[in-house]
Amino acid sequence: MQTRSRALLILATLTIMAIGSLTLALMLGNIHVSPKELVSVLFGNGNDLAREVVLKLRLPRALAGLGCGGLLAVSGALLQVLLRNPLADPYVLGISGGASVGALLVMLFGVAGGIGVSSAAFLGAFCTMFIVFGLAHGDGSWTQARLLLTGVIVAAGCGAAVALMLSIAPDHKLHGMLFWLMGDLSQSGNPTLILGALVLVVLIALPFARELNLLARGSDIAQSLGVAIKRLRFAIYVLASLATASAVTQAGSIGFVGLIVPHLVRLAIGNDQRVLLPASALAGGSLLVVADTLARTVIAPQQLPVGVLTALIGVPVFLFLLARDSQTGK
Amino acid sequence: MLKFFAVIFFGLLPCLASADVSVRDDSGSVVRLARPAQRIITLAPHLVETVFAAGAGSQLVGTVEYSSFPEEVKKVPRVGGYSRLDLEAVVALKPDLVIAWQSGNSPAHVEKLRQLGLPIYISQPNRIEDIASEIERIGVLAGTTKIASSAAKSFLTRLTGLQTRYGGRPTVRTFYQVWHQPLKTIGRTQIISNVIRMCGGENVFGNLDVMAPEVTVEAVLAANPEVIIASGMGEARPEWLDEWKLRTGLIAAQRQNLFFIPPDLIQRHTPRLLDGAEQLCRHLETARTKRPSGAAR
Repeated sequence: MQTRSRALLILATLTIMAIGSLTLALMLGNIHVSPKELVSVLFGNGNDLAREVVLKLRLPRALAGLGCGGLLAVSGALLQVLLRNPLADPYVLGISGGASVGALLVMLFGVAGGIGVSSAAFLGAFCTMFIVFGLAHGDGSWTQARLLLTGVIVAAGCGAAVALMLSIAPDHKLHGMLFWLMGDLSQSGNPTLILGALVLVVLIALPFARELNLLARGSDIAQSLGVAIKRLRFAIYVLASLATASAVTQAGSIGFVGLIVPHLVRLAIGNDQRVLLPASALAGGSLLVVADTLARTVIAPQQLPVGVLTALIGVPVFLFLLARDSQTGK
Repeated sequence: MLKFFAVIFFGLLPCLASADVSVRDDSGSVVRLARPAQRIITLAPHLVETVFAAGAGSQLVGTVEYSSFPEEVKKVPRVGGYSRLDLEAVVALKPDLVIAWQSGNSPAHVEKLRQLGLPIYISQPNRIEDIASEIERIGVLAGTTKIASSAAKSFLTRLTGLQTRYGGRPTVRTFYQVWHQPLKTIGRTQIISNVIRMCGGENVFGNLDVMAPEVTVEAVLAANPEVIIASGMGEARPEWLDEWKLRTGLIAAQRQNLFFIPPDLIQRHTPRLLDGAEQLCRHLETARTKRPSGAAR
């Protein structure tokens, strides 16, 4: 019972953090919006400029950040359990590489069918997912090492394809291609889709949380305790891949959130997947929203790549938690 | 005997006339040639135009991709792109002068060519006036001083004309959009900032020292420019320029001051820059006429 109330407390704190980060994102920027103005804008009043900036520019961007950050963090948390490798992140299995190849192909050559960059990215991610899974599955023995190795190699192949396309791209297309690769939330469209995806992924993953806890201790233990390992792995793999694919499609490959947030949350609250998964979603979302807000305000009116900021915030926090953890002799 | 001296004297005359030439390039080093260059390679598209303006077009033996003006240059052999040079192709053309672009070419490539013993002229025109002196200097190196100095002179005359005509006009706050995704503009040091100022405008991001800063849409709304000018990458007006119409809070959108200038005329540091400058000045003038009477902006 005590663990339950602790879990609720943690999730409540993180929810407040997420709301706080959103408020911050709506208030900060080139055009100053005071808390009072913000409230009146959100209730449909306020002056034209503030309304346009807050509702049409900042809000969609912040919500997209919340969704993408959450998806990446959850995907990272799932893959770290699936692969039992602390270095696993949403991109390790080549999903973002596949998405990049898809997106850049369309940007470079264009497609007569009118496939948008986003759908091409999603298609690319989807193809990679099947290729990696098919190859790793092979003769049916589905070891973590084999999956990881296949993913890493496919990712490397995608990386080479991306480098090739960049080197043959004419200058005027290079801009947009590099921009997409860096990852940026300003290009994101309607955020409801991505937020919906986040809620869906967390809701689907939660029922598996108990089994995931067992899997985290090792597949032999999990199997001896009656977990249907094969089915579980497959479900987790597909779920994590889809989460990554949605995030990458929306905002490009924003680095670092998916690697560091699950570890951060684990260090802070322990490795119980039932709490870890929703907590990662909230923490990842908040981190990305704050990082993106800083990215567009630190040296305003200029803008920084958001990946730089996620790393700059995440690394010190992570190192601090790690040092604290080792001191308490855990 | 007299005849013998005469032969020597007149035999030497051409050599004296075409004795060694030297100029200082934009990096500050002296470029010295034993005789005017006969085989010139340029490592950037805009440098081709300067070479032609200097009257040395017929001495051009190689250039890079995207060199498109004037028409004759399309037949000149290519040595790769400005950022990805094919060094072997450069050497194979046996140039006696290579004109490089400081901020565009890879310094390692240029250094390599220098080590191979090729004479290198480094170009980096940062102000409009620099183009005139560049034409003149290339004229000296190519032995076409006469054409070059008259081209330089007429360039300067036209520049002064624009300056006196528009320089003192009421200030127009201008946003120059290089690209939409990422949203890029130009900083203080960029030559287009110079052009805007000459036309009596003020670059709204002119306080930034970066050449091509990336900014947010919000920053543009906050700056609220009276005019937005874009060039894009092709000959056609970019679609994204008209996306500003949706931002009805912008003065530029309200007064429909969204103008297009072909990139070749404004983004290349060549004599044609004045054509682009003239268009820009006229656009700013149009914007002035759209001001509500009595208002300052």
